[in-house]
Amino acid sequence: MKRIKHSAVGADNSFTTQTRSRAGLRMLLFFAALMALLALSMLLGPSGIGIPDLESPSGSAILSLRFSRLLMGMMTGAALSASGVVFQALLRNPLAEPYVLGVSGGAGLGATLTILAGTGVVASFSLPVVAFLSAVVTLMVVYGIASQGSTGQPSVYSLILSGVIVSSICSSIIMFLVSTASVEGMHNVIWWMLGSLQPVSAGQQLLSAALLFGALAGIWLLSPRLNALALGREMAHYQGLHADLVIVIGLLFATLLAAIAVSLSGMIGFVGLIVPHVMRAIFGPDHRKLVPLAALGGGVFLVVCDAVARTLLAPVEIPVGVVTALAGGPFFLIILQRRMKQAWIA
Amino acid sequence: MMQHDAMTFRNVSAGYKQRKVLDNVSFSVSEGEFVSLIGPNGCGKSTLLKTAAALLKPLSGKVELFGQDVQHIKPALRASLLGVVPQKIESPMAFTVDQIVMNGRISSMGRWGTPSSVDHDLVERSMIYTDVLDLRERFFTELSGGEQQRVALAMVLAQDPKIIMLDESISHLDINHRQEVLQILMNLNREKQMTILLVSHDLTLSAGISDRFLLMESGTLVKAGTPVEVLEPEVLSRVYNCDLHVQQDPYTGYLQVTGAIDSLRHRQKLNKSVHVIAGGGSGIELYRRLLIEGYEVTTGVLNRLDSDAEAARALNIPAMLEQPFSPVGSDAIAQALKMVADADAVILSQVPFGSGNLVNLTLAEAALNSGKPVFLADGITTRDYTEGKAALAFTTRLMQSGAKAWHSMSELMTHLQLYQNR
Repeated sequence: MKRIKHSAVGADNSFTTQTRSRAGLRMLLFFAALMALLALSMLLGPSGIGIPDLESPSGSAILSLRFSRLLMGMMTGAALSASGVVFQALLRNPLAEPYVLGVSGGAGLGATLTILAGTGVVASFSLPVVAFLSAVVTLMVVYGIASQGSTGQPSVYSLILSGVIVSSICSSIIMFLVSTASVEGMHNVIWWMLGSLQPVSAGQQLLSAALLFGALAGIWLLSPRLNALALGREMAHYQGLHADLVIVIGLLFATLLAAIAVSLSGMIGFVGLIVPHVMRAIFGPDHRKLVPLAALGGGVFLVVCDAVARTLLAPVEIPVGVVTALAGGPFFLIILQRRMKQAWIA
Repeated sequence: MMQHDAMTFRNVSAGYKQRKVLDNVSFSVSEGEFVSLIGPNGCGKSTLLKTAAALLKPLSGKVELFGQDVQHIKPALRASLLGVVPQKIESPMAFTVDQIVMNGRISSMGRWGTPSSVDHDLVERSMIYTDVLDLRERFFTELSGGEQQRVALAMVLAQDPKIIMLDESISHLDINHRQEVLQILMNLNREKQMTILLVSHDLTLSAGISDRFLLMESGTLVKAGTPVEVLEPEVLSRVYNCDLHVQQDPYTGYLQVTGAIDSLRHRQKLNKSVHVIAGGGSGIELYRRLLIEGYEVTTGVLNRLDSDAEAARALNIPAMLEQPFSPVGSDAIAQALKMVADADAVILSQVPFGSGNLVNLTLAEAALNSGKPVFLADGITTRDYTEGKAALAFTTRLMQSGAKAWHSMSELMTHLQLYQNR
């Protein structure tokens, strides 16, 4: 047994605070790439590639439109990606994603009802609000069902299971409604569900931004505890956390983020599932870094996908959800394969 | 001096909605004690640990840590009093070892989760203590089971708790890692006066290191006391529902609990007894085989420390022993003759003979004289190291008076059966 000299070890923490220059360099490259990609996305659009003529009113309008789509993309992507990180950590499941607790189904049902019923009475402004509220109501229903029969905190498995069930029920109702709807209504519903970064109203954007920053800050505060919870609820409890409280708050914040994203841009898949994995593969699983990095990475990824979606077949716009998986899939697959060990248990 | 109670259970009943697992359990563990919690699977040991750590709320009664009701202690304070090493920790993500160990400081770090120099010190110290510093940049998931268990212990040590509870976390380690972890625990206990509560399945191992045992049976505490007090064969056999023996090691004084071999031994009793003359390891396979066949076995004279003597002790075979490295004396032979008198047959193993153990052949002679069958392993010439081939001469004489030679184990068993059926 080694004897421990308290002073010698305590003098400097050379073992655990070692600066890791490679990680620093990687971070620097990452930020440079993000900036370059954001700049690139400002140059792409259906009106042509490059900076439009700022002298003309149409040119400045195009640029401002591109900028607001960039903001939409950043917000939606950040919300989805950060939400995915939290879901994967709390449910300890690599398949967890923002919609796992039925948010998409609930929000989709709310949106479908609004679109199909909304002939003037329900203004377009209310669609995101309805989507958001129905997402929150769905979470409460899912949580309520999962809590049945258990003392206190529902288990992760019952949460996932009731999420899947509620989601399926919502999907069935949506399909029934769509099948009985007019051609125009059907078209609108499907387009909404495919997702799009068409800017919502300024008021809506502002509200979403405020909620988004609140939820992201909340999750970042939780992030050290997410590390402990990765070892399971019991272990986190033994280490002195209010484990159940952290789980509930984390799930609420993550669902709030998902609801914000859905209300802004409809249902965009892939970002919330894969970006967290890729960020974890590149930067490791420490959530104090992972949460902000995934938010940034997810945002920029969605911005770039949107730029591609609106430019590639201009003037036709490809649904951004199609681009995320089609273009992002192979790219991320390569990263994940090369760094599988860091991503999740291999 | 009165010692403080580190942990106290006061009439605690606990469990789940429909099923009460702990039934009115009361005990206390003093500060600095090393206590082993034993009992068969499903008796409530894990539930007891969960209740002690406030993961489960007692249905009635209360648990105190250093005099405070554990249900009312703030989680961060509780973590500084009590650390729990679970059976196994699983990390689904690729955390490095130092990230895992840093989790031990989670409740002491500030809101932003930035470790202070105190946190770093404690993490390093516990990694040194558990000898995992070299692994600090490895992925936890890539480590072997023993290494993972040491990392888990390091993580809990980083909490800097006053009590550590281990939930069977060492029972699936291989023997050298088990020794290593136990050594760490003993050092923590002796040097830092850390209170340790170990849930254990290895009664022999626990007996060697524990101050006290707590024995549980279906949710109740059956017995508490020193290892000698608790490890009573009658009580243990009832609680574990199988035949258990407790022996004291004649050399170290440690208690040994054995069971499997004895139950094998009683599988089919023949009520026939065989005395084996062996030595130098030639008897081990004979003992084993004879016990399996259902014979009562005695052996001797053997020198202490001889591998056959060790085997006989392990198998609970009565053996006549002589001092190590000494020739077999007349007292020992006289005692062994009594064993032979009680035996139904005598078997000579493939033991080499020298001047020291030649006298053992007189045991075979005595058996022949009283009309008992004697079986001699053949090939004595190659094993005879006596002057003037005295052993060869002796065995030839025995063969002439009716002893039978045996070559293989199966041949010997056939011979024995023939005699037995006669």
